[in-house]
Order: sequence, then C-alpha cells, then structure tokens
Amino acid sequence: MGEAAAASPGQVVPIHPEVFAGEGGGEPLLVGSRCQRCGAFFFPRRQVCARCLSAEMEVVPLSGTGTLYTYTVVHQSTPEFPTPYILAYVDLPEGVRLLAPLVGVAADQVRVGMRLRLRVEPLRTDATGRTILGYRLYPDGGGA
Amino acid sequence: MSDVYVVGIGMTKFGKHPDRTVVDLGSEAVREAIRDADIDPRRVEAAYCGHVFQGMVAGQRVLAQTGLAGIPLTNVEDACSSGAVAVREAALAIRAGEHDVVLAWGMEHLTGRFRGALTPAEDDLEAAVGLTMPAIYAMRARRHMEEFGTTRRQLALVSVKNKRNASLNPLSQFQTPVSVEEVLASRPIAEPLCLYDCSPVSDGAAAAILCSARRLRQLTRAHRPIRLVAAALRSGEVETGLPSMAFEPLTRRTAEAAYEQAGIGPEEVDLAEVHDCFSIAEVLRVEGLGLFPVGEYPARLERGEADIGGTLPVNPSGGLLGKGHPLGATGVAQVVELVRQLRGEAGARQVAGARVGLAHCRGGKAAGIEGAACTVNILAA
Repeated sequence: MGEAAAASPGQVVPIHPEVFAGEGGGEPLLVGSRCQRCGAFFFPRRQVCARCLSAEMEVVPLSGTGTLYTYTVVHQSTPEFPTPYILAYVDLPEGVRLLAPLVGVAADQVRVGMRLRLRVEPLRTDATGRTILGYRLYPDGGGA
Repeated sequence: MSDVYVVGIGMTKFGKHPDRTVVDLGSEAVREAIRDADIDPRRVEAAYCGHVFQGMVAGQRVLAQTGLAGIPLTNVEDACSSGAVAVREAALAIRAGEHDVVLAWGMEHLTGRFRGALTPAEDDLEAAVGLTMPAIYAMRARRHMEEFGTTRRQLALVSVKNKRNASLNPLSQFQTPVSVEEVLASRPIAEPLCLYDCSPVSDGAAAAILCSARRLRQLTRAHRPIRLVAAALRSGEVETGLPSMAFEPLTRRTAEAAYEQAGIGPEEVDLAEVHDCFSIAEVLRVEGLGLFPVGEYPARLERGEADIGGTLPVNPSGGLLGKGHPLGATGVAQVVELVRQLRGEAGARQVAGARVGLAHCRGGKAAGIEGAACTVNILAA
C-alpha cells in the first residue's frame, strides 16, 4: 500500500518483484534461480532452494524460447483483463514452466507443442497511472 | 486412535439467497444438526467453522444465534477445503481427548460478492498475468485430452451426471437435468470449458456434530452413528521441473494417508463425493484418489460406472456442479451427504448397500505450488 501511495504517473513497475534483473541499467531480463547444490531451477527467482533448502542460489537469465505445454482462451475474467485473451504455459529448456499471455497468433492456430518466444513488454497501466512491465509469448519467429 | 462418530447433520438449501445473511444460513444448519443429533446444545463443547470470504470471527456470530456462545471456537480458512478442514479439526480434538462432542460447520454467502470467475490472491504472479480458476482447469483439461484422448463430449458428461443427481436432491441449487448438447452450447468461459462445466456462485451452510465413542454410549438417538475412519490433510508442495498437469500428486498423497488411517484401499470405497469445481476436476480427483485408473475415468463415466447404480457412484448429491459450491460449506456438505447415504436416508438418490464413503476437497491455487489444501475424509457405516 505504501508503494501505491508513492507512485507517480509514468513510473514503470515490474509485475512481480522477483522476475526481472537489470531494471536499473540496460534492458530488463527475465531471470530465475538455479540451486548451486541440487541443481533445481525456479521461476520467479528465490533466495532459498525449495527442494534442498540451500541458500546458494545463482540468478540465471531465462532462455527466450520454449514449447507450448497447454493453453486456454479466456472469455470471462476480472475487469482489468479485457476478454477474450489467450493464456499459455511454456516449457523452457532449463526445466521451468511459465504462464503468460500468448499474442500474435489466432486462437484457432494455437497448438500444443508449438515453439514460442518470450518478450519483455509493458502490459497495462494501473489505476495510479503506473506502467506494469511484464512479459508475453509470441509464436517463435515473431510474426502472426 | 480413538473412534469418532458423526451423530448429527444439518444443511440449508444451496443456491442464491440474496435476502439472507451468512449468519442466518450458518445458524439454520447448526440448529438442524443439533436437532438431528437430538442433544442439548449445552453438550456441545467446542466448534470449528470453515469459511473463506465472510470476514473476521463469522463463526462467533453464529454461536450467538444458536445457544452455543462461550465455547471454544476456531474459524478455519483453507480456501475450498475450509469446511473439510473444520471437520478434521473437530475429529482431532476428540481423538486428542480434549472434547467429546464437537460441532463442525461451514458457510459462505457469495451472492453479490463475486460475479463470474474467482482468481488466486491478488498479489499472486499468475493472477497478475490474467489467470482465473476456470482458466487453470481449462488448461488441465487440454492436457488430459492431449495425453489420454479424452473428448469434449466426455467432459460434458460429468456435468450431465451431476446435474441429474442434483435434480434428485431437494437441497441442490440446480433442480433440472441438462443434456450434453446444452452443456456444449453454453457460453465459453475458458476454452474448452463452458458455463455448465463450472460450479456456480452459491450461498449456503452445512453442519455436523462429532462425538467420541465413550460419549456415544450416553446418547439416545434413533439414527445409527456413522464412524469417521479417516481425516487426512496435506498442503501442496513446491513444484519443480515440468510435472504433468493431467494428474494430481497432491490428491494421491492425501488419499494414501487417508486409506492408511482407515485401514482400507480404494477398492473398498462404495461411493465418493469429490471436488468437482469444474467438469475436468472430477476426472482429476477420482484418478488421483485411485478410484479409477489414471486416464480411464472419462470412458468409464461414459459407460455409466459413476452413476447412482453404477459400480462406483461419484457425487450422488449432485456435487459442486449440481448441488452448488458455497466455498466454506462444501467440505461439510460432502460429509452430510455421506452420512445420509450411509444411514440409508438419501431417498431417490440412495446408493444401494453403501458401507464406505469418501469425501475429497481441494482448495486454493498459488503460483509455484501444486495446489494449496487437500483433504480426504472417509466415513463408514
């Protein structure tokens, strides 16, 4: 709540505090954590491994491409999400599954197993005028 | 482990009650359970109340209306498992020897509070990208279709069966059967799921009085007591790697704990009330519980095996899809149905010769964990 009170219009805020690295300088990167002890990979990044409780966690940028695991076309949602929209889970090579809006493809062309690419993008403007920085999925190759 | 019995049950009609309050609904169910147990309310020593969105100390407001004010009361929140967890807490208090007669009830008033799809907590990462509860189950349905060849029509049959059963239950929200065609023609919510694949927004309450073996001998009532032979609860583990979304390890682990407590296997279950918040959810539940082989339930459902009169009736009450889903009340309402069935008092939807009944709830969704709270309660005549 304190965060919202201090907000100024035009400010860019991440969709979640633990998904990006590099907000300060260059392009924000989507990152996860790999446990240095047991090798488990997590997204969003975390300080302690959920599998072996090690605190030796390495921050690792996510690969930008993966495979569509499952999807839905959402027709009823909350007011901040105009419908219809496509949501998809993408499986990334580092062994992590991530949920994101899928755009740049017609709903009837979406297939389980298709190649997808992640892009960091502004998603929407919140009630206080801040830009919410998130990520979307596109068919790999970028076009429709 | 000392024995625990259910000696009284009560339940309001589930549905839209815009002119009633949650306290009013909860009080009705509690009074009926006390009447059904045929005990003096002053004999109730403690109480547990499951609810999700009813605000602080909603349970105490019901005690004040039912002659129970003053006893220890715990409000329980575990999303859609809240009521089932209240039953388990009541049983644990009896097993621990702390109390002999304990009330467990659940209640929820959602009309006017929500319209349409529920979502995970607002600060959840997946909710922030647009995830709704129907959407997660839609994506799981897609995987079940992909991995096992389940058809859209087979999923619709879950809703057809449960709304048909609901039409035999006077307390159900839906009193009219629907056809496969009507399910498929209902408006899309999250593809491939349509409106009639989703449990409705409901108000209602359900209550049960639990009792120790030693106190049971002092009670003089006409009904036969039904024994609670297992009350298992598990929380979801952190997900790592790329697990199948077409199977529920959380439901499997909870069921294994319950079967071990009860000293039985899934083959000894005569009927099951499972958490069919969506049509696909019933498929995932019964396969996770080991009641049907993984991937085979849709075909077996199509052959009538899960009907009342089938080899293993599933959701004879109408389930969440037909009876309604007032979140906190759901887990207790399942116990109410099993007690009716095991007493032989279920009327037109009676499962012949029922001796062992299983109730399963699964509540909550949060990014990074496989589910929040899962319960399996088993009752035996």
